[in-house]
Amino acid sequence: MNRIKTFWKKGDPYILFTGAGLIFSLGMVLLMLGIIIFNGMDAFWPKNISEYQLKDGSKFLGEIWDTKKDYLLKPDSTYGVVEEVKVKTGNRDIYGSDFKWLYHKDIKTSNEPQEAVCFERWEYGNFYGFINAVSIFDKRYTFQNKDLIEKANEALAKTLDNRNKEENIEKKLNDLMRPLSEVQRELSLIDINENVNKIKVEKLNKKAEELQNKIEKAYTKLSNDLTKLKEEDSQIIVSVTIADGTNIDVPMSKVLRLYQPNKMSTISKSFFYVKKVWEFLIADPRESNTEGGVFPAIFGTVIMVLLMSIVVVPFGVAAAIYLNEYAKQGFLIRMIRLSVVNLAGVPSIVFGIFGLGFFIYIIGGTIDQLFFTSELPSPTFGTGGILWASLTLALLTLPVVVVATEEGLLAVPKENKQGALALGATKWQMIRKVVLPSIMPGILTGMILAISRGAGEVAPLMITGVVKLAPALPFDLSFPFLHLDRKFMHLGFHIYDVGFQSPNVEAALPMVYTTAFLLVLIVVTLNLVAIYFRNNLRNKYKSSTF
Amino acid sequence: MKINIEQALGKNVKVTDKKLVTVIRTNKVNFYYTRDKKTLDNINITISEKKVTAFIGPSGCGKSTLLRCFNRMNDLIPGIKMTGKIEIEGNDIYSPDVKLEDLRKKIGMVFQKSNPFPMTIWENVAFGPKVNGITSKSDLDEIVEFSLTQGDLWKEVKDRLNSSAMDLSGGQQQRLCIARALANKPDIILMDEPASSLDPISTNKIEETISELKNNYTIVIVTHNMQQAARVSEYTAFMMTGNIIEFNETSALFTNPKEKLTEDYITGRFG
Ligand SMILES: Nc1ncnc2c1ncn2[C@@H]1O[C@H](COP(=O)(O)OP(=O)(O)O)[C@@H](O)[C@H]1O
Ligand SMILES: [Mg+2]
Repeated sequence: MNRIKTFWKKGDPYILFTGAGLIFSLGMVLLMLGIIIFNGMDAFWPKNISEYQLKDGSKFLGEIWDTKKDYLLKPDSTYGVVEEVKVKTGNRDIYGSDFKWLYHKDIKTSNEPQEAVCFERWEYGNFYGFINAVSIFDKRYTFQNKDLIEKANEALAKTLDNRNKEENIEKKLNDLMRPLSEVQRELSLIDINENVNKIKVEKLNKKAEELQNKIEKAYTKLSNDLTKLKEEDSQIIVSVTIADGTNIDVPMSKVLRLYQPNKMSTISKSFFYVKKVWEFLIADPRESNTEGGVFPAIFGTVIMVLLMSIVVVPFGVAAAIYLNEYAKQGFLIRMIRLSVVNLAGVPSIVFGIFGLGFFIYIIGGTIDQLFFTSELPSPTFGTGGILWASLTLALLTLPVVVVATEEGLLAVPKENKQGALALGATKWQMIRKVVLPSIMPGILTGMILAISRGAGEVAPLMITGVVKLAPALPFDLSFPFLHLDRKFMHLGFHIYDVGFQSPNVEAALPMVYTTAFLLVLIVVTLNLVAIYFRNNLRNKYKSSTF
Repeated sequence: MKINIEQALGKNVKVTDKKLVTVIRTNKVNFYYTRDKKTLDNINITISEKKVTAFIGPSGCGKSTLLRCFNRMNDLIPGIKMTGKIEIEGNDIYSPDVKLEDLRKKIGMVFQKSNPFPMTIWENVAFGPKVNGITSKSDLDEIVEFSLTQGDLWKEVKDRLNSSAMDLSGGQQQRLCIARALANKPDIILMDEPASSLDPISTNKIEETISELKNNYTIVIVTHNMQQAARVSEYTAFMMTGNIIEFNETSALFTNPKEKLTEDYITGRFG
């Protein structure tokens, strides 16, 4: 009896209990990270292409994505277990879907044919088959050519080159047309009933005509070039034999990349992998974001987090300093402090709604009325944009910064403050020269927490400026470089959109994991940078107690 | 105990007959932290120029409070009340037209717990002059060297002025704080138990520094260590429960106390 008592008293069970709590929490975090990392890293590894012949004679070609056991209702109304394999057969435009579940019991033979080719296309996902022939202009190469795959690659290089040129021409055309379309837009906005405007209309009409004449020659030349390139594209064709033996003509201009995974060594697969990761990081998304890269989303996330930090840190620090150093402590200040802390518990969507109502409609609307009248009725700042999203998140993360800064302030020894005052410093000099430097680590802690919270938020962003696909980055080389009014893309929203809103969720799954992994990585990186600075500061001011 | 004090007094420089100039004069000073608790009761004391004056007395008797009245550090505490008059160099320091910053610039203070700022040694010493408007780097360099020399620290730190002040030892930190106070070129230096948290060697060093400083500055030092008071000061005030019981030349106060309470205290019968 006594021994049991001392056992409980000594607290061994509590040590066990707290230890178990720690292990459980850590375990869940590691499990989550593990799943994300494993699936995210695996997404770009080129998978071999298998060929299946079923007992009923049908044939399928594709990558194995999954295997599972399933229950099947047998004719005698009992359930039997069957094994299934999920094959990504691609060729969505022909089969109607990307995937096919095959029962093990139906499969007669399976093998990995050396010559099988995977075509990554700009649209409609992957295409699997065997190259039957390649036509480049009037030359045709068939299976009799031993270097057929080289010919295919040659054709691909040509169409990719053409694609670049076409994009350039289209951009030039756009630039060329811009002044004209602006004049036309102005014209369309003018109410021609009034007398004054008639003169203006005439003026504008004349200007439009002049512009038209001026650009005509250049325009014709550019569009001719474009037609010529398209004409070339239409003569570069690869004929592909798909699983069931039919030959399909695929215009090479629809293809982005082709490779024969079954022939590739581990080393060349690794190279391929690196190239794909690189593309993922720096390319624009394709096919409603389920393919291609996420660069605009990375960029948008980082810029937004930076803008948010630039806003929230000064305001949070100022608020904390006022609360602690200047305000007369009492009931009111206690209430304010309590409210600020509780702000952290307000659901983020509420902040989003506030951002929409206050920042976008009221402030943005007013800005448009005052400074962007010429653009009305289309809004400039009166609609979601990266500025408003950042401000909303700044508001959301304000309590974190205030609380962390206050903690820092409380840790500044009062001897140091008094010492500064005793030397004839004013209160502000004391705060700036003694207090602020010693709370820098605390401020950075607040910033780290704010970044972690802010970078992961999606809900408030959805109504304050995030879009599925932004036409332009919020930062580019055209004046004023940082375009605060622009809509932007965000990794968190990207995950939601690709994983749950895209028409082809199954095929997009790897993308979801990779993007999630990337988001975690970015948050960690931003944090590490802040921690690095904090440690530097700590070494400089060893007295601080963080 | 008595013998110790006499030994300490042996080191003391006897007060010469030079004419004394009053620097600080208090007149009927009462001080309250809260309305119903009088912490200082009718304090009348004159402190002379270029002398070391020590306040001794049992803990909680109001020594620090009185000291902090001289540079108005008590003003920071909400709810305090003070009556009476304190004149420094003939001016009422509590009159409304006194600029607090100017007053504190003229009166340096060294705290019980050394409080170097989390900056470099150079920045610590230059802090006062900088906030008081000196910007030229060469002027500041000069002041830093001068103050550190006066604070007896220059030799030890001259090669690492740009390293953090937090890396210094406790005794060095306290001497840095003295040097930092000197950098403002004050007339008066207030010291609140400057050696109470230091080891004997560092204490000794601080006392030596004080002895050197007293030729140029008026020093008021609070200490609960009677030997220390005997060693460094020319005048000593013995305080108890908010009153000054006895104020006299140090040697006279220790060898020939006029009050029974003083005698009891210095012979160690209480406190
Ligand atoms: N900030 C303060 N607020 C209220 N009471 C104080 C404060 N500082 C000191 N006291 C009180 O005033 C009395 C005198 O304190 P102090 O001057 O620090 O004594 P000493 O320095 O002689 O030990 C003590 O009773 C102490 O409790
Ligand atoms: Mg004291």
